Amino acid sequence: MKNKLMHLSNETMNIGFVKKVEALSGSSVRRCFQCGKCSAGCPMSTFMEHPPNRVVRLLQLGQGQRILAGRSIWYCASCETCTTRCPNKVDLAAIMDALRKLSWDADGPSKESYVQLANRLFIENIRTYGRQYELRLGAAFNMKSGQFLKDLMLGPKLISKGKLKMFHSKNKNIAEIEGIFKRIEEMRKKGEAL
Amino acid sequence: MTPGKKRLSYSYYPGCSLHASGREYDISTRALFKALNVGLKEVPDWFCCGATPAHNVDELLSLSLCAKNLSLAEEVEGDLAVACAACFSRLKTTQHHLKGDETKRKQVEVAIDGPAALNKPVKHILEILAREYGLGKLEESVKKPLMGLKVAPYYGCLLTRPPEVPELDDCEDPSIMEDLLRALGAEPVKWSHRMECCGANFTLSRPGVVLKLSNAILESARIAGADCIMVACPLCHGNLDIRQKEIKEAYGAPDSTLFGNIFGSELHGGSAPDQRDLPIFYVTQLAALAMGVASESLGFESVITDPKPLLRDKQLL
Ligand code: SF4
Ligand code: SF4
Repeated sequence: MKNKLMHLSNETMNIGFVKKVEALSGSSVRRCFQCGKCSAGCPMSTFMEHPPNRVVRLLQLGQGQRILAGRSIWYCASCETCTTRCPNKVDLAAIMDALRKLSWDADGPSKESYVQLANRLFIENIRTYGRQYELRLGAAFNMKSGQFLKDLMLGPKLISKGKLKMFHSKNKNIAEIEGIFKRIEEMRKKGEAL
Repeated sequence: MTPGKKRLSYSYYPGCSLHASGREYDISTRALFKALNVGLKEVPDWFCCGATPAHNVDELLSLSLCAKNLSLAEEVEGDLAVACAACFSRLKTTQHHLKGDETKRKQVEVAIDGPAALNKPVKHILEILAREYGLGKLEESVKKPLMGLKVAPYYGCLLTRPPEVPELDDCEDPSIMEDLLRALGAEPVKWSHRMECCGANFTLSRPGVVLKLSNAILESARIAGADCIMVACPLCHGNLDIRQKEIKEAYGAPDSTLFGNIFGSELHGGSAPDQRDLPIFYVTQLAALAMGVASESLGFESVITDPKPLLRDKQLL
């Protein structure tokens, strides 16, 4: 996207998308005056093609698709530095969350799906076991991402140090967690929650 | 315990890491609280708080998981003590958001099928030690001061940010870890990276990112002359301790090219890059050590970067 002229028109400006981001994040994007403080402190901005301040600028211009086409949102570490430092109380960390959710809902796995995959397996673990089962998390990630050799050497070492549990017991009240997942799904189906 | 004063006692949310990869944080927390005669009772049947992945993909789910945990915690007396910085941040965020947002609170209450219990104070171990037990009393309880131990206190991101959520300390210039270290007789070093992010959430999906960020943190601590780093989060510990060897392989080897030599020697004062191992301690391990708790009950055998040579060297073992 760099060095290319951006054409603004009714067709490229998706204000509905921006409104969704604002509703989900509870943060205004219009407050931003592009001081760049968020990007200056962002530990991940060197990995992003649109650093945090540009993400907000693109939102101001209704260019949500440009953000979603890139990988910036999947390189945000949720460290809250941007939110903490913004002089105008733009909650960028929450905006990043909202963008990830919208991307996830709309496209499913993207080219940055390793991050989604890890997040999704993490949440699956909660639904199945109630708690994290790190050995399964790592193994499932390696299987599904095709990175069979990754961290292979780390595994046995961690097990021998007692850091990864070989077996796992479910929470006794696991049905309550399933209830939470179900009720949220229902609320969304009925349009009662975002 | 001062006579006439009620004994401090807390309910305890350990979180998933403390039952697995961060088990030594759990072990040392329990040992320390016992040594200080502070009560600690685990919340029965707590769930995973969802940490970063849950709010990354589904804010409502994340809030609901935490709200459920907060209502489980109501069953145990005492303020809620949390050791993991990520769990601490999520539980506090949930209280903060749901108190200020009626609509979300109602949605969460539908999701957890009950009222959201938002009033139990959630406290990180650091503030329990430094503020509630108190630095003065802590200093008095020290049996084996950590003399001569130069420690880089590492805050990371979520302990202090954003300021209105954890309400733990100044979000840009905190001092609670330094104060605690001084009370234990150790010497906190001044260093540049104490609040930089280690990339915790990427440990599975993007280890390269973690190596880069964690390398910068370790390097900064070495330059400041630290013998070790102190953390208050199992995710920070995982990245800095477990991956130290990998980090060295990726960043430590001297560059043999001409430019590598020139810039390398400039950066490292003419000598080979400093590749010292830096043991990573949990705040509770160092505090318990100073309280005279036997090192066998602090989980040092579970750590990858062996801290024993350093501790022996400083005559702390
Ligand atoms: S710090 Fe805030 S005002 Fe400044 S560029 Fe970032 S979002 Fe905009
Ligand atoms: S929360 Fe994300 S965007 Fe904000 S500073 Fe941290 S890594 Fe950067």
